[in-house]
Amino acid sequence: MAELSVESREAEEITLIYPRGYMNAHTARLFEAEIQKAVTQGRFRIVVSGGGLLYIASAGLGALMGAIEDIRKNGGDLRLCELSESVRNIFEILGFHHLYRIFPTELDAILSFRADEPGRASS
Amino acid sequence: MSAAIVLEIPSRTEFLSLVRALAKRAALRAGFPEAEAERVGLAVDECATNVIEHAYHEARDRRLEVRLDDTGMELVVEVVDTGDAVDPLAVPKVDLEKYASERRKGGLGVHLMGKIMDSVTFLRVGGANVCRLVKSKHAAEQDGAA
Repeated sequence: MAELSVESREAEEITLIYPRGYMNAHTARLFEAEIQKAVTQGRFRIVVSGGGLLYIASAGLGALMGAIEDIRKNGGDLRLCELSESVRNIFEILGFHHLYRIFPTELDAILSFRADEPGRASS
Repeated sequence: MSAAIVLEIPSRTEFLSLVRALAKRAALRAGFPEAEAERVGLAVDECATNVIEHAYHEARDRRLEVRLDDTGMELVVEVVDTGDAVDPLAVPKVDLEKYASERRKGGLGVHLMGKIMDSVTFLRVGGANVCRLVKSKHAAEQDGAA
């Protein structure tokens, strides 16, 4: 079995990325490539849904950092959700929870982008 | 006689999962709780990753050794390589505010190792680099009781 698989899907203007398994220096490039694919396509609203993510090392965190400036410069954001306690703990050790918005569920993360849109916040 | 466990692997990232799993297992065996053992596995993974990327510059035909020793009071992990001398002081401190804008990807691993372990020491012994990671059981007990 592969150590990491990464799939993505599009929900209207949002790209959802699903990393599953173990993300380390050997596997993080798969994840990085998926983020980069969305950025290249001009899709700057990204939700990383991490329910299947069992482990993340700094290479995975570096992949998140590598693209975030481009994403935010283009009016988008990369948000995370469904993180396990152990993965979230790594984010907190490094202070990444101050840099990224992290939501309990995928729906919360998707709705947070909708809430950003003027005129849709209260709908 | 020492009860240390020694693992020697080729300098390839595909073996990092083995290093992580063994380090986590050794930490569990030493009595650390699951979450702490998971973090020890991560710190050792980061250390081995640094060796492959910085001491060996991703050459795949070198070897590195991971020694794990439960001394009773602490878990001592040494990661040993014969690559280029790495100056830990040359690793820039991580400033997350600037990190993204500088488009950096490195430095996070060393930062994580320092946050997880009680001490991280880099030594040059003969022609080898030794990175010594120590996790005290006493600290773990205190954390658990808090």
